[in-house]
Amino acid sequence: MVVFALFIISKSGGLIYNREFHTGLNKLSSNDLLMVAGSFHGMHEITKQLCPNPPPPTIPSNTAPTPFAARATGLEVLETSQFRMQCFQTLTGVKFLLFTEPQQPNIDTILKKIYELYADFVMKNPFYTVEMPVRCEKFDRGLDGFVKVRG
Amino acid sequence: MVLYSFYIFDRHTECIYSRRWTPARPTSSSSKARPQSEGSIASNGDNSTQQARKHTDDEKLIFGLVFSLRNMVQKLGGEDDTFLSYRTTEYKLHYYETPTRMKFVMLTDTKQNNLRPYLHQIWANLYVEYVVKNPLAPVEHPGGIGVANEMFERGLETFFVAVLPA
Repeated sequence: MVVFALFIISKSGGLIYNREFHTGLNKLSSNDLLMVAGSFHGMHEITKQLCPNPPPPTIPSNTAPTPFAARATGLEVLETSQFRMQCFQTLTGVKFLLFTEPQQPNIDTILKKIYELYADFVMKNPFYTVEMPVRCEKFDRGLDGFVKVRG
Repeated sequence: MVLYSFYIFDRHTECIYSRRWTPARPTSSSSKARPQSEGSIASNGDNSTQQARKHTDDEKLIFGLVFSLRNMVQKLGGEDDTFLSYRTTEYKLHYYETPTRMKFVMLTDTKQNNLRPYLHQIWANLYVEYVVKNPLAPVEHPGGIGVANEMFERGLETFFVAVLPA
């Protein structure tokens, strides 16, 4: 199993974390990485709008919008000839992008586990400000342990 | 298998053929998504022109989207990497690009495997045969001239019925 890289994109489209586990993707400068993250944020929004048959709106319009109602999700899996990208968006709009080999099974569980690590070591870190780049040693070590042990 | 729509884009970013099998969208969601200046006036009267405008909007959106996804994929995976498809919870978009930069895009339900071989077949067996080799069709197809001829349409029809997995 090969996991190439992990990106975390904040709800406003900024790249707040990126980590390369395995060579295989092109080396990009940090400027290019920020651009890729930003444009992906926009593309993700467009894929939401392109939904060919939207589910009928069942919620009456006078109730407040709830994040738990069924709504169109954007891009989830992107397949190319050399890698596969899985996108997991949390209810608060943070996106986790995991780049793996094309034939990688069980990416869902890997992403769930990474989300757990993020919740434990980043969100519960009192020195972390939201929307800012993630610099938490424990998160790094947790990821290393998890991804490399499985690798 | 559920087919939602099928598009062909030429190398000048123009949509030269499109076909949809989906019912009209509810107007409320689309007007929220893309505010139109004259939308409120036109909402009652000419539904057909509004629908047509939405179709061309969708074509432009899809072109812009696959174009940027393709660029992003090439940036990350290298020059020889190709974008194949993406999936959301509602639909799946399949993509095939010919060496001449023509783009074939198909939207289906999410259960499909990669349809790239089928898109290649549409290009090789239908587009090349009935559009490129047609002596009456122009070399370029501004506004889709010469693409939607009878043979091509009929070929597509039988292709979708016979070849695509049911």
